Amino acid sequence: MEKAILSVENLYKNFGKKEILKNVSFEIGSGDILGFIGPNGAGKTTTIKLILGLQSITKGRVLINGFDIEREFEKAIEKVGAIVENPDLYMYLTGYENLQLMANLYKGIDKKRIDEVVKLVKLENRINDKVSKYSLGMRQRLGIAQAILHKPSLLILDEPTNGLDPEGIKEMRELLLELAKKEGMGILISSHNLAELDNLVSKVCIIKSGEIIETSGISEIKKEEKANYKLFEVNDISKIKEILPGAIIMDKNKFKIDAVKEEVPEIVELLVSKNISIYEVRKEEKSLEEAFFEKTGGNVIE
Amino acid sequence: MSNLIKNELTKIFKKKSIYIVLFVTLAFVILSNCMYKYFYTDGSFSYYSEGYVEFAKEGIKNLDPNKPSDTKMYIEYKTVLDVYEMMQEYESDAWQIQIISSRIEPYVNERNTYLYGAEKDENQANKINEQINELTDRLKNDDWKYFANEELKIAEQKVKALEEEKNSTDDKQRLESLESEIATAKIDLDVAKYRVDEDIKYGYDYMNRALMNYQEYGYTIVQMDNSNTELTYQEKKDYNKAIENKEISKYIIENHVDTEKANDLRGILSRFFNEFGLFIIVIVVMIAGTIVSEEFNKGTIKLLLVKPYTRNKILLAKFITVLIMTVFAVVMLIGMELIVGGFIFGFESLSIPVVVYNFSTNMIQEINVFAYLGTQVLMILPSVVLLATLSFALSTIFTNSPVAIAIPLLGYMGTAIINQLAIQYNIGFLRYFVTLNWDFTGYLYGGMPLMEGLTPEFSVVICLLYFFVMMIPTFVIFKKKNIKNI
Repeated sequence: MEKAILSVENLYKNFGKKEILKNVSFEIGSGDILGFIGPNGAGKTTTIKLILGLQSITKGRVLINGFDIEREFEKAIEKVGAIVENPDLYMYLTGYENLQLMANLYKGIDKKRIDEVVKLVKLENRINDKVSKYSLGMRQRLGIAQAILHKPSLLILDEPTNGLDPEGIKEMRELLLELAKKEGMGILISSHNLAELDNLVSKVCIIKSGEIIETSGISEIKKEEKANYKLFEVNDISKIKEILPGAIIMDKNKFKIDAVKEEVPEIVELLVSKNISIYEVRKEEKSLEEAFFEKTGGNVIE
Repeated sequence: MSNLIKNELTKIFKKKSIYIVLFVTLAFVILSNCMYKYFYTDGSFSYYSEGYVEFAKEGIKNLDPNKPSDTKMYIEYKTVLDVYEMMQEYESDAWQIQIISSRIEPYVNERNTYLYGAEKDENQANKINEQINELTDRLKNDDWKYFANEELKIAEQKVKALEEEKNSTDDKQRLESLESEIATAKIDLDVAKYRVDEDIKYGYDYMNRALMNYQEYGYTIVQMDNSNTELTYQEKKDYNKAIENKEISKYIIENHVDTEKANDLRGILSRFFNEFGLFIIVIVVMIAGTIVSEEFNKGTIKLLLVKPYTRNKILLAKFITVLIMTVFAVVMLIGMELIVGGFIFGFESLSIPVVVYNFSTNMIQEINVFAYLGTQVLMILPSVVLLATLSFALSTIFTNSPVAIAIPLLGYMGTAIINQLAIQYNIGFLRYFVTLNWDFTGYLYGGMPLMEGLTPEFSVVICLLYFFVMMIPTFVIFKKKNIKNI
């Protein structure tokens, strides 16, 4: 098995008597994009802070490229890029000066590399403006720029899509996919905006009340259905219950029914015979969001 | 590590606040130099204030010289008015004024006593008037040397008379008091001799001030020499101060240089820390008090802490930055004063050395202005560094900038009170308090420390102790700190 870039092993975190994290474990390999999902207060940001050494670990350990974050901090953190919570940058400096400061703290980042990264996040027109004049979206881009400046092998992004417009989200998605594919970066993204992760992440980790309740590939999660529902869209829904007693009415044009695919032609025939027009028939596929709600049982902060 | 320091300096110099403070400081430097140039006086020249003369004029109207109860007041007011009238003929800083007030006034008073007093005597009054007229003629002819020679003659006679008395008397008590009388008379003789030998015209310039100081501190020394009781520590310090002032006055008289001049570039530079110390403290504390806490308040600490440097290195880099900025603030202010002061007063005064009295060699010592300034700054630097350390520690531990700035500033202002308390009431345990130890200028040139029992070694130990007591918890706490949600 390939050596993991990040491996989080049985992590515990207590604040006083309160247990914030309980036995959190997961791994990220080269090229993996892990979606770290959970409701507010579940422990996403705390986990990220433990990984980055921003808070002390109560029990368990974090290895980055094989280095323990607490014992060999400098070596472990060297190949990590991160945005934690908000992209907090020096507001009184320009975007370029911010990047310059970051570049000073690593070996071998020249002007060329900075320009390259600025281009990558599409900030070249505003890079010499003060960050205080940036919109949240632009700060988010600059945050990503400073995180990938030193070509890290692990990129940690805490809610990176905050404040980005749909266009920006699409661009970021493309950028992250490229980084994972081309440079083999392992990426950890935490988010509660599940729709955005839908076409991005290759693995999902769901955390609730400080515990990991699900880790799996993205396709597995979505396919894991309890029943085999088919969705129907029709012109008149009022008689459906009489015709098909097992149907579940969803709104004024839609219902769903538990049926294997061989049964579909029979149902269509039956409906046509009763003079009901059918607009659409499809297999119900759960979105990530639905899967998420199913797993977490709603958004309860404890 | 050097990259961390470089980054910290970049952050400081990219902020507006440092420029605002430097600008305000510059404005104050200019203002204070202008004050010295245009509003500074070495002391009042006028013998009687205008107010007092007006008061005498009003008072005399209601007095009747023939009424016994009024006579004394009448003579006093009349004398003031007569003397004032004589002075009107001369400029307020003319040498004649000094003679009128010291030499002629007694005659005027005597004459007025004969004219208006209980025992009136016209003849005597006329006789005295003639003497007054003779003296005022000499004033008009600018014949100050006559008065100087007179003074010398009188002083010589007095010394001679006292010494003769000493040789002829056997009374032990009298002998004792004669000793101090002779010493005092000899000081008067010195002054009179200096005036004649060094050609010092009467008046109110620095040479006369030096003569006056020489006399005054000479008296103090004689008085303390003949004191029967053991001198307290504080009195010993006063005694040393008197010796120092007397010797410096002597230097001024013999060399004809005003080394005590306050209102020129050299004078201001030699008192650099008294003039501008507060500005340096404000700049340094402002930087030390925000350098850590601001990163916490703005959330940027997270950026910094995920860089490949241990927390100890990051904090140390910040502290070194504070030290660099301390040096910067000192250099900046000296530079400002040199340029502003040079522009306002000119640079000529810098060639005159600073004169101090060295108590280890018991000799006057001439020191180049810059060498003196450099030594003073170095000796006072521990206090600035310790205040910066306090601010830095508070800034790190509480991540609260206002507290980290306010407490050291309040502490600095309270220093004088604490020190005075310790010295005045001789509170022994306060010697372990840092404010009595962090200013090393007192130990220079064999000087006596603020409090009995303090030594340079002791003070070094106390300063180091305070430094580490503040720094060690700061580093430990910073290392252990959980970066909470910001």
